[in-house]
Amino acid sequence: MIKNYFRPSTIDELSELKIKTNGYLFSGGTDLFVKIRAGAINTDTVIDTKYLENEELKIENKKLFIPLNTTYTELRKFIKANQINPIIENIVKTIGSPMIRNRGTPVGNIANASPAGDFVLASYLLNASVILKPSSKKIPVEEFIKGPGKIELEKEEFIYGIELEILDDYKFYFEKVGRRNAMIISIASIGLLIKEDNEKIKDIRIAFGSVAPTILRNKEIEKSLIGEKIDKNLFKYLANEFFNLSSPITDVRASKEYRKQLVYNLTLKAYINLYEKVVI
Amino acid sequence: MKIKVIINGEKKVLDIEPHEILLDVLRRYGYYSVRRGCDTGMCGICTVLFDGKPVPSCSVFAARADGHEITTLEGLPEAKEFAELLAEEGADQCGYCSPGLIVNTVYLKKLKIKKMDEAKIKLIGNLCRCTGYEGQHRAIAKFLGVEK
Ligand SMILES: Cc1cc2nc3c(=O)[nH]c(=O)nc-3n(C[C@H](O)[C@H](O)[C@H](O)COP(=O)(O)OP(=O)(O)OC[C@H]3O[C@@H](n4cnc5c(N)ncnc54)[C@H](O)[C@@H]3O)c2cc1C
Ligand code: FES
Ligand code: FES
Repeated sequence: MIKNYFRPSTIDELSELKIKTNGYLFSGGTDLFVKIRAGAINTDTVIDTKYLENEELKIENKKLFIPLNTTYTELRKFIKANQINPIIENIVKTIGSPMIRNRGTPVGNIANASPAGDFVLASYLLNASVILKPSSKKIPVEEFIKGPGKIELEKEEFIYGIELEILDDYKFYFEKVGRRNAMIISIASIGLLIKEDNEKIKDIRIAFGSVAPTILRNKEIEKSLIGEKIDKNLFKYLANEFFNLSSPITDVRASKEYRKQLVYNLTLKAYINLYEKVVI
Repeated sequence: MKIKVIINGEKKVLDIEPHEILLDVLRRYGYYSVRRGCDTGMCGICTVLFDGKPVPSCSVFAARADGHEITTLEGLPEAKEFAELLAEEGADQCGYCSPGLIVNTVYLKKLKIKKMDEAKIKLIGNLCRCTGYEGQHRAIAKFLGVEK
């Protein structure tokens, strides 16, 4: 049962409280409180980060900086106003409901480190770095997330923000498959970014959610495709590779066999939607 | 601990425990329109306006409300008009989901939303187990003045 509630306003105060109390941080609380009430987390102390004096959402050196406490609703507004990274809008609008997006935060999604986390997928695709305080360490997201719910954080550290690349002139595709058509936790998801040069690949990034202990992305495969002609065969090859690389589990939402098949099908579907015709 | 809030336009000091959730505190203080459904942020039945924006009160820590403004159905004069439309359209069968839906729909009216598609997307977090939504949508269309 929670007995202590703290509201630090400076980085040092937050860090000291974290060491002293071993308490759980929260911003939106949309993950934490659900877990506490389900009995998955037992703690007597919670630390509210919302009162921290932190920087604003901003664009700097062609990077998008999202500090802790920025909600999905605020991020969407900012993305629209600045007309950057439209794939983020496509992903974020599928997270929870408008009400959840008024409270939930991208930083909370990363800290939660779920392989189904939709913003985790977005951050893998946009080569995000996680910025920690008080250490000021900057760690690539794929190194920061170690497994389901596991992150690389020292006792005194917390996530201060995330920094994502801003990409121009990329085609993109995002889809998440769930058991109903609204407010879904994904059974499997795909995010694809592709930059072309004369019908050939200049840069490609492809990532899958919920089909491995962490988001599945493979930079070697991506690199090997640079200069290749974009056609269905290429995507069949990709679909096969990721079918083999995926290592999903069976859980209440779907079996591992179905999830592997989804990896294959979603890859081809992404191609068809981007290059042939839009199918639902 | 004590928190200072403005509920439905009235300044109040509430006595709360550090572990309490806003939903429970509101009910303890007699705001019975705020109901518990799923208790996990999925159903929208517990919706209140927090600084004017809809949030599921079952997922908000009560201590977080300190210094903020909360509006429940009791504080929305437009609620009655929409409730009557729901009744007219047969869209309150058990009625359990109505308060949350009403709070959120009155919010949409304040945003001047007049497209049904947009309203539907914004109401995705308000579930109803009885009506199949058709009746609700008719009532919402009337209330928002959706252009046909
Ligand atoms: C109804 C519902 C629908 C949802 N739908 C989706 C969905 O479609 N897709 C999806 O990906 N998620 C979904 N979620 C999960 C959740 O809303 C998101 O993961 C959200 O981004 C979490 O953000 P938060 O600020 O609420 O996190 P919080 O609950 O505040 O925190 C999450 C975790 O991170 C830790 N933490 C918080 N801040 C920090 C920090 N600064 N440093 C270190 N650790 C920290 C907390 O201790 C906690 O363990 C849903 C949740 C609900 C209730
Ligand atoms: S009871 Fe709060 S969303 Fe269901
Ligand atoms: S009328 Fe019964 S849940 Fe909506």
